[in-house]
Amino acid sequence: MTTPKLELVSLCKEYDGGDVVAVDGIDLTVAPGETIALLGPSGCGKSTTLNMIVGLEDPSSGDIRIDGQSVVGVPAGRRNVGLVFQDYAVFTSMTVRGNLAFGLEVRKTPRAAIDRAVAEVAELLGMSDRLDARARDLGGSELQRVAIGRTLVTRPSILLLDEPLSNLETAARLAMRQELRRLQHEIGLTIIYVTHDQVEALSLADRIAVMHAGRILQAERTQVICEQPGHVLVAGFLGSPPMNLVRGSLRGTGHGEAEGGGGMCFRAPGFVLPMPETAGQGLPEGTYTLGIRAETLRLTRVGDAGVTGRVALVEPRGADSVLSVVVGSEVLKVVTPATEAPCEGQEVGLCVPAEALCLFDGDTNRRTAFCPRERA
Amino acid sequence: MMPRKLTPLQALVMGLALIVVLFPVFWIVMTAIKPPTDWNASPAIWVPSKPTLINFQTLFNPDAIREYGVGGVSQAATDSVIGSLLASVSATAISVVIGLFSAIGISRYGNGGKSTPLVILSGRMFPPAAIAVPFVIMFSTIGLIDSYPGLIAIYAAVTLPFSTWMLKSFVEDLPREIEEAAMIDGRSRMMAHLTVTIPLIKGGLFATTMFVFILNWSEFMFALVLSYSNVSTIPVQLAKYVTATAGTLYGVQAALAVLAMVPLVIVGYRIQSHLARGMTFGAIKQ
Repeated sequence: MTTPKLELVSLCKEYDGGDVVAVDGIDLTVAPGETIALLGPSGCGKSTTLNMIVGLEDPSSGDIRIDGQSVVGVPAGRRNVGLVFQDYAVFTSMTVRGNLAFGLEVRKTPRAAIDRAVAEVAELLGMSDRLDARARDLGGSELQRVAIGRTLVTRPSILLLDEPLSNLETAARLAMRQELRRLQHEIGLTIIYVTHDQVEALSLADRIAVMHAGRILQAERTQVICEQPGHVLVAGFLGSPPMNLVRGSLRGTGHGEAEGGGGMCFRAPGFVLPMPETAGQGLPEGTYTLGIRAETLRLTRVGDAGVTGRVALVEPRGADSVLSVVVGSEVLKVVTPATEAPCEGQEVGLCVPAEALCLFDGDTNRRTAFCPRERA
Repeated sequence: MMPRKLTPLQALVMGLALIVVLFPVFWIVMTAIKPPTDWNASPAIWVPSKPTLINFQTLFNPDAIREYGVGGVSQAATDSVIGSLLASVSATAISVVIGLFSAIGISRYGNGGKSTPLVILSGRMFPPAAIAVPFVIMFSTIGLIDSYPGLIAIYAAVTLPFSTWMLKSFVEDLPREIEEAAMIDGRSRMMAHLTVTIPLIKGGLFATTMFVFILNWSEFMFALVLSYSNVSTIPVQLAKYVTATAGTLYGVQAALAVLAMVPLVIVGYRIQSHLARGMTFGAIKQ
């Protein structure tokens, strides 16, 4: 087995003598050439984690290993890790060339080699004709390219990107995303990408690690994490709209009016859902959170469905619409083709396909063994 | 910003304000080129009919003015001009260098905790006269009274709150990531500040230097109480042009004042946009 490029071992960062825990025991292994996205809401510890990897902050405890060697205590400049900042941190007093050459000049690289490396990176980023422009005269996406180029020119073994596209306008962001994808393929770098934008994470990363309150809730391949979220918070964060989460109890049919099925029934106030035949088997009765992807819910006529509700809001998104359907005391999001969207206030039936369901333990909030898709 | 057209009322108010501000400047320049007979003339002579440079000559050659029958000027202003330059330039350099590193320490590393910036500022909370007497006693004891090192030390100390607070605001305007990027590229903390932070705030550094220089250059109180014979500055020299025979030598005073104003006007013009930041201890963003 090849040595992992980067390993974070029980990594912790505390401030104010332990009163504030920014990063709370992270374990993460990143393979060479892999792109992993750290995804999570603001303040979840993503940027602190990056700062520790690059060496701008020291961990309170735990270890950081690059190529199998611990780098805790090694100054930032000697870790060979590049970081592209959210606000670019381009030296505006210098030209584009000065910015690109900076890291190599600090390392006392011979002038000829600097010129060659700067020319290569400028070519890669399509900035060859802007080398003599003043950095302060550049626009957002150009600044972003200079920031990435300045990091790439030093040939880091790991590239860290801290929300690099969040300051760009939509068009520039899409273009830059494609640019990053292309760079990934051309250079084959190990990339750790911090973002709170899941579309960015999904489009760029091989794996996504979802963070919350200083911990990694789940680190999985992009496809898997979307379909099989391991934690209620992951389910509630990923997707647009995110998975519907209904807290209720799982009981045998003897307790209620469920029809047919495998003998289990999920109940929440005003909400009764018979479990599919294979579902819920082997799970003890008790409190659970039921997860239903909005895209998998289907509208039917009121009489045809076990679940009925009233459409409270229709949000058109172009080709489809997001409906907010009030079922009992819950509001379920349903994605439906724009042409089939009902009117607000209309009563609708909801067909809940078995493969759309996930069950999370009511106490731990972790996904239970039950998930029809896993078997599919 | 496009220049805005003033309403007649605004123009009137502005005009009055300009007269109030500029009249003393006009008067002092005119007085500087008036012969002694016109200094106190009644009714006042606004613009001298026979402008002369005799007042300026007297500054460096005290006997020059005797041709107008005015005597008693014993001391040339040369020493005070040199003294002012020496004290102001040295104290400004010390104040700005210490202020720069204090500003970086406070705004980047929180050195000294939250109260330090305010403690530094507290030196400005007393009227200079209140701390002048203790300084005289202290400086007499340690032999710094009537010496340039003493004057420079006190000027640097008194202007340090200004340089620290002004520079702090410029450093805080600069994203911290800029320095971190330099550190990731291999610079030490110190080198990151020297090669990245300082070049990026050089406009602010220049403005602060000029502002502190103006304060030192025009300081009167400390120079008066801490100097006897070895040390003289322009503001102190200005007060010395009073003779037993001819009273106050307004023309000579005005000539020295004009000379003292020239560097301030040039400097003030260059840093006008930053002056408000200095006056408010950095509270105003550009």
